[in-house]
Amino acid sequence: MRELKIDQQYQTSITCKSCLYSINHPLGLTIDKNGICSGCRVHEEKDSLDWNVRWQKLLNLIQPYKVCNGKTYDCIVPVTGANDSYYIVHVVKNQLKLNPLLVTYNKYFNTPLGIRNLANLRIKFNCDILIQNINPISVKAITKTTFREFGSIYWPCIAGQTVFPVQTAVRYKIPLIIWGAHQGLEQVGMFSHEHEVEMSRRYRKDHDLMGKEADDLLNNFDSLSEDDIWQYRYPDDATLNSVGVRGIYLGNYVRWDPKVQHELMIEKYHFMGSIFNRTFDTYDHVDCYNYLDLHDHLKFIKHGISKVTDHASREIRHGRLTREQGKKLVDYYENQPLVHVEKFNEWLGIHPSGLEFLVNKQNNNHISKFILPKNSSHEFTPNELNYDISIINKKLDYKAHANLNNDEKDGYIIIGKGYKN
Amino acid sequence: MLKKRLIGVVTVRQGLAVQSFGYSRYMPLGKVEIVVENLNRWGADEILIQCIDRSKFKLGPDFNLLKRISSVGLSTPVIYGGGIRNVSDAVQVVNNGADRILLDAALWDSSNEIEFFSKALGSQALIANITITHRNGNLYWNNYRRDQIQLIETNFYEKNQLDCISEIMLTDMNNEGCNNSFDEKIIELFPSNEKSLILFGGLSEYNQIQRFLSKNNVVAVGVGNSLNYKEHALQKIKQNLKGIAMRTAQFNKSEK
Repeated sequence: MRELKIDQQYQTSITCKSCLYSINHPLGLTIDKNGICSGCRVHEEKDSLDWNVRWQKLLNLIQPYKVCNGKTYDCIVPVTGANDSYYIVHVVKNQLKLNPLLVTYNKYFNTPLGIRNLANLRIKFNCDILIQNINPISVKAITKTTFREFGSIYWPCIAGQTVFPVQTAVRYKIPLIIWGAHQGLEQVGMFSHEHEVEMSRRYRKDHDLMGKEADDLLNNFDSLSEDDIWQYRYPDDATLNSVGVRGIYLGNYVRWDPKVQHELMIEKYHFMGSIFNRTFDTYDHVDCYNYLDLHDHLKFIKHGISKVTDHASREIRHGRLTREQGKKLVDYYENQPLVHVEKFNEWLGIHPSGLEFLVNKQNNNHISKFILPKNSSHEFTPNELNYDISIINKKLDYKAHANLNNDEKDGYIIIGKGYKN
Repeated sequence: MLKKRLIGVVTVRQGLAVQSFGYSRYMPLGKVEIVVENLNRWGADEILIQCIDRSKFKLGPDFNLLKRISSVGLSTPVIYGGGIRNVSDAVQVVNNGADRILLDAALWDSSNEIEFFSKALGSQALIANITITHRNGNLYWNNYRRDQIQLIETNFYEKNQLDCISEIMLTDMNNEGCNNSFDEKIIELFPSNEKSLILFGGLSEYNQIQRFLSKNNVVAVGVGNSLNYKEHALQKIKQNLKGIAMRTAQFNKSEK
């Protein structure tokens, strides 16, 4: 993380006047002379670009990848039981008329609701799907290392989700991978939509993997071996070039608005959302017990930002929240306790005190104590805040359809394929 | 015949690699050492790291950044620019891992010392960055820190003691960061000399780069922002340059 002193050195403001991001955003952020961040500036393009022209560009781009003989797939689409997967497949299959091979990486932290959403996705869209299961002994060993070394319990999940589609593209010689939105563009304005940025190994290493590729995890003072990490290796440049692999982002060509898109998918294909303890968004990450729980807490103590700030900033930019309302939501949700930690302890085989030790090791003084809410700077009493939150949530109207356990046994679904209606 | 070079340019602001547009608007990219590591793997002929705010805020060269970059273990020569105030800074920059230095602010502030830079490091290690704007048939050299400009005349080299510098980088200030927009008039109007030129600012398209590299006195072009948009962007430029003596595109093959 870049240190706060940098703004004293450079005499620049640190927080965006429009959204809730500061220059300490882990992806990096710039703030212009008017006090507006790069993310908000790029978001302004959503209302100035001619999206019909951009759609036409997308049609032209995918044309050479359509396979006419029916012997293989036109493209690969990485999916999960949440995020924007339904909408991406909807655009790819129904609007672009492509025949995708869906791929998904088993992160092992699966919720029954996520498994249900994923099964429903492949059934409703009638798509083939490949699921990658890495042996859990290695996944646990890597998780222990990344947790201990740089405070990430999610490295294997992100590494798997970002490499398995590329490996599949190489293995099956399907060069085109279609992703949803580019997070660097959407959150911090790393690129303009018109740059038409594509997937790259550099971005993956820097931002998805926190600067550590698979081989960077190996060292003499750790028990990880090549047998553990080889499945997370990115294909080399020569291999990628020989197949012509490229990964494009729909968000460069379609006006991306996750809330609107999810609600369309709920209506058309019965995607299901769920209430979370630490954010108001009921659609993102319903497939995972940890992303908006322990992982979110780690993000907060390392970087001073949690997922609710991402969600609130996004809603502010889309005009569905004022900055003040967004700030109230962040103040409230950032302070909510974690509720799925025991499952993680049990899965990884560590004692709660061990977990607490590892978490506190990452504390960058953004909060004072493990799991307890931070001392919020908001000026409201708890009751006032709760009242405000319920009003704001009512206005936003995010929909929840089930608990994460989907009325089944509460716990990780290690291997899940279907669901009971 | 000496080979021509494709230089990967990394612009650094507040310690972060950024996309820059006319040195007035910025977008974050990420960690400098990872951007640099990627350009090295791609086979850039040289990597230029320009820290654009070190002189403005009188911070001196970013030695910590240079140390981090050195620890990556690069095989590509590195040019460093930013915050170099005097010969001592320049020597330390080289001692911290840079192969060559890009002089910018020092050309304005310490123009009498340029020959001492050369004596300390050798002229081959020195590149002068001349940020240029073109208006009404005249070229102006911009001092971005002080909103100061100097008309570029035929005695430009003698006046600014640039004889002891090996290469001149002409940066098209207005078009920096924009695609396919380097102002050709800059080359036409810049005083002719035996000095080798590097062009930077608004260079992105294959045909455009090919056209400029075909000129005798242009030994290299720098490409910045657009190298971050696509996988293998640098190799694709190289593959599309025809008849230019240059190292071929490199696609690394893993031994694992």
